Order: sequence, then C-alpha cells, then structure tokens
Amino acid sequence: MAEDLNLLSHDEFRGHWRAWLEANYPEEWRIPIIYRLMGDDERRWHRMTFEAGWRAPAWPKEYGGLGLSLEKQLIMHQEMERHKCARVLDSGALLLAPVLMKYGTQEQRDRYLGPILRGEDLWCQGYSEPNSGSDLASLRTSATIDGDEFVINGQKIWTTLAACADRIFVLVRTNKEVKKQAGISFVLADMDTPGLTVRPIMNLAGEDELCEIFFDNVCVPRENLVGALNQGWTVAKALLGDERISNGAPTLPRQAFEVLERLADGIALDDDLGRTDRVAQLYCDIEDLAALHSQVADAAIRGEIDNAALSLMKVLATDLFQRVSDELLRVAGEDAGFQTPVGVAGIELDLRKIYMIARPSTIYAGANEVQRNIVATMLMGPTGKAA
Amino acid sequence: MGWRTDDELQQMLRDSAQNVLETEGGPAHFRSVRASENGFDARAWAQMGELGWTGILLPEAVGGSDMAFDGALTLAEELGRSIAPEPFVSAAVIAATVLAKSQAPAALALARSLASGGRSVTLAWQEQRATIGLPAFAARLDNRQLHGTKRYVPAWHDQTGLLVAAKDGAETVVVIIDAAAPGLVAHPQRLTDGSISAHIDFQGAALSEDAIILRGMEADVALDLALARGTVALSAQLEGLASALWHRTLDYMRQRSQFGSNLSDFQALRHRMVDLFAEIELSGASWRRAAKDLAGGGTWSPALHAAKARCSQAAQDMGRWAIQYHGAFGYTDEADVGLYVHAALRWSTWLGNAASHRRKALEAHRREGDLNG
Repeated sequence: MAEDLNLLSHDEFRGHWRAWLEANYPEEWRIPIIYRLMGDDERRWHRMTFEAGWRAPAWPKEYGGLGLSLEKQLIMHQEMERHKCARVLDSGALLLAPVLMKYGTQEQRDRYLGPILRGEDLWCQGYSEPNSGSDLASLRTSATIDGDEFVINGQKIWTTLAACADRIFVLVRTNKEVKKQAGISFVLADMDTPGLTVRPIMNLAGEDELCEIFFDNVCVPRENLVGALNQGWTVAKALLGDERISNGAPTLPRQAFEVLERLADGIALDDDLGRTDRVAQLYCDIEDLAALHSQVADAAIRGEIDNAALSLMKVLATDLFQRVSDELLRVAGEDAGFQTPVGVAGIELDLRKIYMIARPSTIYAGANEVQRNIVATMLMGPTGKAA
Repeated sequence: MGWRTDDELQQMLRDSAQNVLETEGGPAHFRSVRASENGFDARAWAQMGELGWTGILLPEAVGGSDMAFDGALTLAEELGRSIAPEPFVSAAVIAATVLAKSQAPAALALARSLASGGRSVTLAWQEQRATIGLPAFAARLDNRQLHGTKRYVPAWHDQTGLLVAAKDGAETVVVIIDAAAPGLVAHPQRLTDGSISAHIDFQGAALSEDAIILRGMEADVALDLALARGTVALSAQLEGLASALWHRTLDYMRQRSQFGSNLSDFQALRHRMVDLFAEIELSGASWRRAAKDLAGGGTWSPALHAAKARCSQAAQDMGRWAIQYHGAFGYTDEADVGLYVHAALRWSTWLGNAASHRRKALEAHRREGDLNG
C-alpha cells in the first residue's frame, strides 16, 4: 500500500478498509458467529491481507506490521463486524508475535515473524492441561534439558486448531522444586516433531477445533526457549491485556441479537410484553456493554489500563452471548431442535450451533468464576485466608 | 477513577463538591430534610447557590455560570453519592434549562433568584403516570386562566418558583405562576427521598400579564431538552448513589464477622459484589454515552433510555443487596443504608423507571433500524 494508513483521517481509513473488504472478502465466508477461518482458509486470509497491505495492524512497522493506532485497529474490527466477516483466530500474529517482539531473540524473530505475516505458518497455543485449566500455573507437562535439547513429556488439552497448526508455543515445567509460577518456561515446537501427536476432540457444536496434544519424549532445540529459563509465566502473562480487550467486546452478542431480530421479523412473531421486556433487556445490556467497552478502550488508548473493567467485560460479554442465544431458542420454537441448519422464514439458520458456540466462552480465557475472583481481589482485597 | 476521566473543570467541581458534601451532606443531612415540614433546606440550597451549582446551566447575565452540561453531570454524580435531597435535577437542570431559553422579564427575574440560591424552581409538566418525554398537554390556557391537572410535581414547598407547561390553543406555552395563586390547589405528599411532590389542580388560576415565558416551537424544544437533560442527570445521580452504597456495604462487610470470617471473605458474597460493581460500571458508561449523544443534538436516543434504565436498576439492585449484607441491622431505620435505598426508590422511579426505559430504548433502536448506528 503506497500511502501511509496512519496519515489518513479515521473516516478515510474506515472508507478504505470498508471498500477493500467489499471488493475482496470472499462471500462464502460471510457467516458471522458460526464460521471460523481455519487451515487453508486462514492461510489464504493472511496472504490476501498481507499482499494488499492490511496484515498485522497492531505490529510495529519494523517487524512488517502496519503500526496502527489503537483507534484504527478498533475501526478495522468494527468494519469486519459490519461486513459480517467470519471469526479468525490468528494465534501467531496476535498471541505469539508480541511475545517474540518483547522476549524473543533476534534469530527467533527473523525466523518466525515473516512466515506468520505471509500466512505460511499457523501457530497454536499449548497452555491448558487436563488438570490445569483455570489454575494454569499448576501445569505438569515437563521439559528436561538433555545436551542441546529440551525433552518434553506430558499432555496439553483444549488447544484450539492444533490439527491445522504448523507450530506450537507451549508452557512447560522446567523446575518442580520452586513455587509453581517460578518453574515454568515458554518453548516453541514444530508440530511434526517426532513424539508429538494430536487428537482432535469433538465438541458440542459438532466441531473438532479443540485438540489434545500428547508429548512423548519430544525433543526440541534449546534455542527454542523464549525468554529466560523458568521465566515462562512472566512471558505468558504479558499477553493477557490485548486478549481481554477483544474478549470483552460486544461483537458476538450483538451479532446474535441481529439474528434474533431478523428471526422474529421473519416469522412475524407478535411481541407480547414478556418477550418485549426480555429483548429490551438484552438490547440494553448490549448497548451498555458497547458503551463501557468503547470508554475502557478509549482509556487504554490514553494509557489508562483498567484491569478490573477488562476482566469484568469478559464476564459480561460472554454471559450476554449465552443469554441472547437462550432467547433465540425461545423464539425459534421447534426449529431450534434440529441438528443441522434449517430454513426459517427464508433465513438459513444453524440455531444449535449458535447456542453451542456460546457455551465455552464463559469457560475459556479464565473461567468467569475465576475472573470474578480476580476482580474481587482487586476491589475487595485478598480474603483473610489468602492474606 | 479507572477508565473514567474528568476534564479540568469537572475535576475542580468534583473536588469542591466532595469537600462540601463530606461535611454538609450525607445521611445526617438527609435525615434532617426528611424530618422537616417543607422537605427542603433553604439554607443548604442557598449554599449551593453560593457555590455556583444552582446556576450552573444559567447564563452569566442572570448570575449563572453557563457551563457545559458535563459539569452539571459531575455535580449530579456527587450529589447522588451523598444522597442529597436537594432539587438539583428538578430545579438546576430541568427548570434552569427552560428558563435559560427565555428572554421574558419574568423568566430572567426567576432565573436570577435560582442562580443565587434564593429560590428553587419547579416545572409542572407531567399529567399522567409513567410519562417519558414530552406528552400532549391537556392543561390549557383560557382567557389568561389556567385549567387542568399536573401530577408528580417535584420539590414542592411554599417558597418554590413554579413553571407550568400547557396548551394555548394549538401551541405549547410555558408560564410562570405564583404557587399561592387563587384557583391553584396543591395536594402535597412526601417522597421517599424526604422531599415533597404535589398533584396540582388548576381551576381557572389567573396569570399575570407577563406570565408566558415561552411559546410554540421554542417552548417544545426547551421542554424536550429540559426533560432529556433531567433524565441523564438523574441517571448520573443514581450511579453516584449506587457507587457510594457499594463502598459503604463493603466497609460493613469488612468489619462484620460471622463463622470466624469477615463477610467480605465469603466467595458467594464477593462474587455478588463483583456483579454489582459491574452493574455500576455499566451505569457510569451508559450515562456518559447518553450525555455524548445529547451533546450531539439528539434528545431521546436509545442510549439515553438505556442509561436511565441501567442506572435505576443498578441503584435498586445495590439497595436490595446492601440491606441483605447488612443483615437484620440493615432493616433498621437507624442504619444509614436504608436512607440510600429510600433515595434510590424515588430517583429510580421518577422520569421513567427501568422497565419503561428499556422498552423505550428498544423502540428507539428499532426505529433507527441499525444496531451499529
């Protein structure tokens, strides 16, 4: 792209991005909420945006990103929401790259960032384990040092899109003798390393995006360590801020609400007052969350990070997504009971999938109960027992 | 403050309000107003006049400070925090917005006494229960005499200035009338915030020569803006109240011990407090967004309705759990927590309650037809 996107006014910038999406975004991907780009579709999206000069809006220019202001990044999100774009995970650019920029060696950046930009490498995040979900720091997958290599043994679970990933960044225990957070390291591995096997898990939405990964004497070079040995917890925590701003966005509840309104229109449902009140509550919840989200994001742009509000918005947004999907069931009647998409009043709907996709959001990225504990500690101090 | 920010002027107003209200406001003041015959503390009102609060939206020509509405919202928030029963919203926001639009001599004189804190002024507009926004008035002028009924007139006391919205033929008018005029019969009744509201029957009450201060489109526009502003200011006041009550409740939970632990250590209670805090965060964001919409020119936007709904609900919910977490002590009149709950009852139900505003928000949104709008 010849012109510097940072020099455009917000309106001009929005217009450019909107026009590009309208001209280039594949029609078959425009299934919001339900569709997620994965595998070759995801590679294609990254390549398309890379070639057109829209890839990696948050990355600094020195690493090949656009170096856009937070305002312009938010505009890109808004326009994608408006255009009904599919979800996209992009773990490499969003989760790993900031870590490499902050903690990685020059060799690691040179080796990994380019392929992420060009859509050649897809990454997955190996954090959770069967017995370490919300209490992540208790993880037990171990890495022992053997000459120039780490030898990894153990098991990860709930690793999103591991089956189509090329590489993984993984938290491993490298010291069992110290406080649990102090013995963790952040290590990179290729998915085709011998001893590493992936088993997709069928979920309630009928997808096998989430996977188990087994490490059986998986050997990776010591140069794949990111940050210092046993500093993995600090490295991983550096990620959490960005993730919470997007997890607290009202995007999914708002898109589900639009489906709800279209459905009610389509089947010419009479509004009884009970339904009106429920829908009005949902609408106000979405509107107010949007107000909070934009003001918290504005504050973040000014450098004022409100950690309690970020955690709360994740709780609010995910809870709201579930409540809107519950209301869809009420409206849809028997049509909500089909295993596969059905045509309702001329609208093709996969209600079961929307309902199920809303379930895990209250669990992932820190279960809502854990988020409430975190916020309670921020607001009310630690409990007597913990102090 | 977290994500909330004040500009310099707001910061100044907030500091001054907190200083004054810490000593002059709060539960003790609330109790004294509640026990007074008038439900109005003329001395406190005069002090608010000296501080420039009662004239914050009035032009400098009448002694006001002609500030942006944001300043009034900061004050509303702080007055809510100290459960002030003073008629800030009804007089300094609603009546002042109407008065500021008139150049009539009678309006200027009344505005001057409002700005100085010499008098409070109330606007009689509502005629039916549960009215949101400007209604079609049934009260009418006939031969310089006022006929009709006004209900829920706020901050009623014998020294109040009185504005009445009515029809003169097909046109809306706003008139000033003496609260003690013959043919005006007031039925006062105390509200839960300690102030007094009146239903007023006008049975041919006579108007003076210069009584009409606004007419036609000008009157409609002024009244519409006044009620919209009042609704946002009341929302801010409710958020202030809810936030103060949250902190007061936490203070109590920290020192009340049962089963060997402070109440603030029980996880079920902590999670509820977090959820209530989230409601308050949504409240703060919602009225700020409504104020932004209002500054942009629209009056009854979805965000404005959503704000009054959210802030009303948050204050009521906070009241419910504040009593619960204070235990049986919370049910006594001696415990101050009940004062906040009483103030919340009045403020959350005035100018449209939560359920009505939620419906209005949805209606307004469906009219706009675009959630992203």
